[in-house]
Amino acid sequence: MVGNFVILPLNTKYRGPAFPANSDYDIIDECLDLFRANSFFKNFEIKSPADRVLIYGILFVNEVLAHLRPHTNYNEAVKIATNVALDSFTIPGTPGFPLNTVYSVPVQDHNAMELLRTYIQQFRQELAMRLLERLYRDSRDHPSKFWLAFTKRRFMNKTL
Amino acid sequence: MSYLNNPAVVMDNGTGLTKLGFAGNDSPSWIFPTAIANAASSNAKNTASSSSTGGAGLAASSTGGSSAASNPYFTNATSTTNFGNLTTASLMSNNLSGKRGTEDLDFYIGNEALTASQGANYSLNYPIRHGQVENWDHMERFWENSIFKYLRTEPEDHFFLLTEPPLNPPENREQVAEIFFESFNCAGLYIAVQAVLALAASWTSSKVVDRSLTGTVIDSGDGVTHVIPVAEGYVIGSALKNIPIAGRDITQFIQSLLRERGEVDTSLRTAERIKQEYCYVCPDIVKEFNKFDRDAEKFAQYVVENQDKTRQKVVDIGYERFLAPEIFFNPEIASSDFLTPLPTVLDQTIQACPIDVRKGLYNNIVLSGGSTMFKDFGRRLQRDLKSIVNNRIAETERLSGARSTGVDVQVISHRKQRNAVWFGGSLLAQTPEFKGYCHTKKDYEEYGPEIVRNFSLFNMV
Repeated sequence: MVGNFVILPLNTKYRGPAFPANSDYDIIDECLDLFRANSFFKNFEIKSPADRVLIYGILFVNEVLAHLRPHTNYNEAVKIATNVALDSFTIPGTPGFPLNTVYSVPVQDHNAMELLRTYIQQFRQELAMRLLERLYRDSRDHPSKFWLAFTKRRFMNKTL
Repeated sequence: MSYLNNPAVVMDNGTGLTKLGFAGNDSPSWIFPTAIANAASSNAKNTASSSSTGGAGLAASSTGGSSAASNPYFTNATSTTNFGNLTTASLMSNNLSGKRGTEDLDFYIGNEALTASQGANYSLNYPIRHGQVENWDHMERFWENSIFKYLRTEPEDHFFLLTEPPLNPPENREQVAEIFFESFNCAGLYIAVQAVLALAASWTSSKVVDRSLTGTVIDSGDGVTHVIPVAEGYVIGSALKNIPIAGRDITQFIQSLLRERGEVDTSLRTAERIKQEYCYVCPDIVKEFNKFDRDAEKFAQYVVENQDKTRQKVVDIGYERFLAPEIFFNPEIASSDFLTPLPTVLDQTIQACPIDVRKGLYNNIVLSGGSTMFKDFGRRLQRDLKSIVNNRIAETERLSGARSTGVDVQVISHRKQRNAVWFGGSLLAQTPEFKGYCHTKKDYEEYGPEIVRNFSLFNMV
């Protein structure tokens, strides 16, 4: 737990501080399952610290989708998504992040912030790859247009 | 008394569609948009002097003898005899209105109006707004054409059952009576509240046992959704609620989803067909998304046929199948100004009613109107409302420590749902008692228009 951002276990091969999850279903699956339904909502009630990770995940999925085009094939998409995931990003709770009312993190504590940054990095990479698995399930040539349609939806009216 | 054996005419004029037919039938003979297309050039004049010109045009039909006057309406009002007939009738007043008189017959209603308004010479008007008549001149002509051109009857020989929205001012009823008795000279008139007729229509469902006129009606048409509590045949006006979400919003929401996906055809027409043919209500949207992932058969395709049928456009249909009707249960997904789900509104409505009728209102929730036709709409509504009610009961039991006897929530779907109001009217107007409840031409002449302020209720049991 860093501030009110909780470090949840992930099933991933990417390096990072997350513990391996002890079930098959982790927060990343949850993000992907809830992304489509939640994209339609502008209000979201936070009931547990894990919901903050969920919000970040849903916003990030939207971010990745925005970089894809209807004819991007799988290999190109992997490159694009990796770049998006590794690109410099603002950490929730620090200046410049769009939803700072939700997140509060100890900005002064250097070690804690470094842990958070690497965790989010790991989280982004794994989420991006698993998203692509779903997008290209039917065809490796182009992403599912039903998923891509959600690019224009804005969860809580925000984008990363 | 030639009218004694004729079936009554049942007319249900809604904001979007008008349903016309004879009592005793199980569906209306005509359903068409409540629209009227007037000659565009005379439109400004018409609204300015609406009462006088409308009166002149109709005076011709009522004074000129029924068969002669109704004859022109069979055709599209373009025959020469018709013009002659009318000008002589109105020349009596003055020359100018005589000219205007011929223009008065130059109008179309229903689907013909929609076609005509595509040309340059006609402008389209909807005489009913939010369930209430806004333009009496247009409405009068609309009725005139309904009777003579569609039903092809003599109003003298028939009783009429008309419908009105809840909370319709009595002045509007008087206006209707004036038109029907004085312009059309009809034999008898009954004006019923739409919600009460919808309750009557639900008696055909096997779930209804006691044929009571107590219940909550959810009437969802094109423009607006009403939640109307009715106790013993009377609308509880203080508790009634409107929801600004109805058929048109669903269609527009589907259209926006199609556009986001960049489908080849995103017209409102296509969206509407998709709504009518493919949409259903799901129990849980997150699970439904996953169902679509597992089962590709859930995706559908709709083929748009061109007018010349040479090219075909194929529109893929995806999540809108269950997302569209979902806006009743989660309005947030489509609108930003109205956020209360339908089950919550329903619960608030019933809670605002007197305590002794609430059980009856929860127990008999009746659906009516085209936008309640989605598969499993009633089931989802019943489930959501039940959970709201059960939560409240649990809370009260916890606070008071007393045991509740429980509240039975029952939503009734039936086969006549789409035209429930009309069907209810048909059901009531075919009974032998119906004519006894009507006000007749004779009563009207004796007492005047205020007689229609009150109608006695049907007691069907």
